[in-house]
Amino acid sequence: MTSRPVHPRSAYHPIQLLWPLMWLVLLVGVVLMIPHAQTLFQWLAPDARQVIYQRADFTQLLGRHLMVVGVAASITITLGVLAGVMVTRQWGRDFLPLVSQIASLGQTFPPVAVLALAVPALGFGTIPIIVALVLYGLLPIVRNTIAGLKDVDPGVVSAAYGMGMTPGQILRQVELPLAAPVILAGIRTSVTINIATAALGATVGASNLGDPIIAGIVNANNAYIVQGAMVIALLAVSIDSIFEVFQRRLRLHTP
Amino acid sequence: MDKRPPNWVMTVLSIVMLVALWGLDNVSVAANRIVAGSGYASWEAFGWMGVALASLLLLFVLLMAWQPTHSRLNLLSQLAAIILLLLLMPFGLMAASAALIDPQMPQARLSAGAAYWVVLFCALLALVELRLRLALSRFWIVLIMSGVGGLWWLCASLWLDRLALVQEFQAREAAFWLAFSEHLAMVSIAVGVSIVLGIILALLIRRYRAIQRGAFALLNFFQTIPSLALFGLLLAPLAWVSANVPFAAALGIQGIGWTPALLALVIYSLLPMVRNTYVALEAVSPDVLDAASGMGMYPSQRFWQVRVPLALPILLEGIRITAVQAIGLTAVAALIGAGGLGSFIFQGLGQAAMDMVLLGALPILLIALVVDAGLGALSEALRQGASDD
Repeated sequence: MTSRPVHPRSAYHPIQLLWPLMWLVLLVGVVLMIPHAQTLFQWLAPDARQVIYQRADFTQLLGRHLMVVGVAASITITLGVLAGVMVTRQWGRDFLPLVSQIASLGQTFPPVAVLALAVPALGFGTIPIIVALVLYGLLPIVRNTIAGLKDVDPGVVSAAYGMGMTPGQILRQVELPLAAPVILAGIRTSVTINIATAALGATVGASNLGDPIIAGIVNANNAYIVQGAMVIALLAVSIDSIFEVFQRRLRLHTP
Repeated sequence: MDKRPPNWVMTVLSIVMLVALWGLDNVSVAANRIVAGSGYASWEAFGWMGVALASLLLLFVLLMAWQPTHSRLNLLSQLAAIILLLLLMPFGLMAASAALIDPQMPQARLSAGAAYWVVLFCALLALVELRLRLALSRFWIVLIMSGVGGLWWLCASLWLDRLALVQEFQAREAAFWLAFSEHLAMVSIAVGVSIVLGIILALLIRRYRAIQRGAFALLNFFQTIPSLALFGLLLAPLAWVSANVPFAAALGIQGIGWTPALLALVIYSLLPMVRNTYVALEAVSPDVLDAASGMGMYPSQRFWQVRVPLALPILLEGIRITAVQAIGLTAVAALIGAGGLGSFIFQGLGQAAMDMVLLGALPILLIALVVDAGLGALSEALRQGASDD
């Protein structure tokens, strides 16, 4: 859903590392500063008795959030790329129309609805959230893997075949590297959505960065909400800017 | 005649459905709203006749899919069997409710179990697959889906009053329709505002090329921020405005409620709108514009009579993406007190009442699918209209 406009190809320069670095420093800074910013948050929530979220440390919440997203992302990437590769092979071609249809139709489903439907099926807690994240995060990766592999020039593949490469070698050394930028764009979309959806997981009993926001809404404590919101937003922006750097590098290395 | 392998997709789907039908619980019965229900297998729920009928239909599909010929007749017969299965499914629930629910217990309720959902899901996948194989037009799919949906609706409203979802709905019918209309109203306002703002911004970007990179980078940046966080970040400044600007408070601007929700929805909607409007206006072929100039059109005529009509399909695509995204985000907005169908989801999660979660989630899914299909069809029709001329 969050595909990006095509930027003109720009040269890679180490200065581009500045953005992710800046966001990461800001993220770490905010996480470390929150416990000491009593006065600031008191001003945001003048009526509240307690203005710093205490139930868990923010470093801990950040760690749990990263863990959930990380586990979900590694499963998603493995399964998604595997599925995309399988349906584009000769023997899996039967499934291609259905799988690509599901991958595009499924993105119509709002992540909240998927999360909500996963709970009756799987129960409360961290595992259902990881399952929901995996299911939803698969779609952009599968779609982009299929699109990327389809875009590979058949002439290049037959040239590789003519050089005596085996199908496995062609896949690993020719097709996947050529499709990599498109696949990476899918992974970026998937991870961005997952960070946001994982935060909603706080409503179904997972303890992560969504927690302070939900607690703040329930107790009408603006300070909690702002603390959670700042850290999630910075996390999402940092990770996205890291992907941006990777994408630029890849675009530079693929013809 | 060439010998072709069997249709693996339909084979796999029908085997999965058969296994689910025989191996998993098909319905569950609970004494009231909160307690966990006890599961019943298919033959206990539907009776042996019902299970035999469903199995026969699925075996027929399996047999047909296994045929090496992929004739149209073969595919059509599979389609007929799947549609028949979908049409029979609500009657299965009716049989289960008659067989398993004690009429003495007014609180007792029936829920669909794992097998039921698996069969429903696979049957819908089979429908998609057969539609693709048969290259059926959108018209037929709409006809089939509205026929099946109509029958389900009829069964649910007339006979399935023991179904948990129906009971949830009946218990809060007024609240449901209020939330439904709130949801649609918020989505329409957000999409409406972002269409106007998006077109203005896209035109500005076209005029002042220097701001192009910056504008897209900023909109991208907003799109990256998770919805829950953006709602939260808007809360503090809006609360401050409402506390310190009397005029704003009189307008109903608050830190929670519809103000931050609408603001966030518009911010999220701007990227797809601006991007598609911009791409749409840029994508019109220069030859066509040349021809228009050659015919003696003024620049303004050329813009309104040539560029805009040709750009319309891509523009509509932008509206489709925006609307579908807004439908999902509005559900999250329920958390900050903006109402809408999401409130059922979060209330249901809070009370561990899963049927209430379904009451919120299923309509959201349906609205998203209907809006997506409707706007997709419109944009396709416009595109065809454009190429016919």
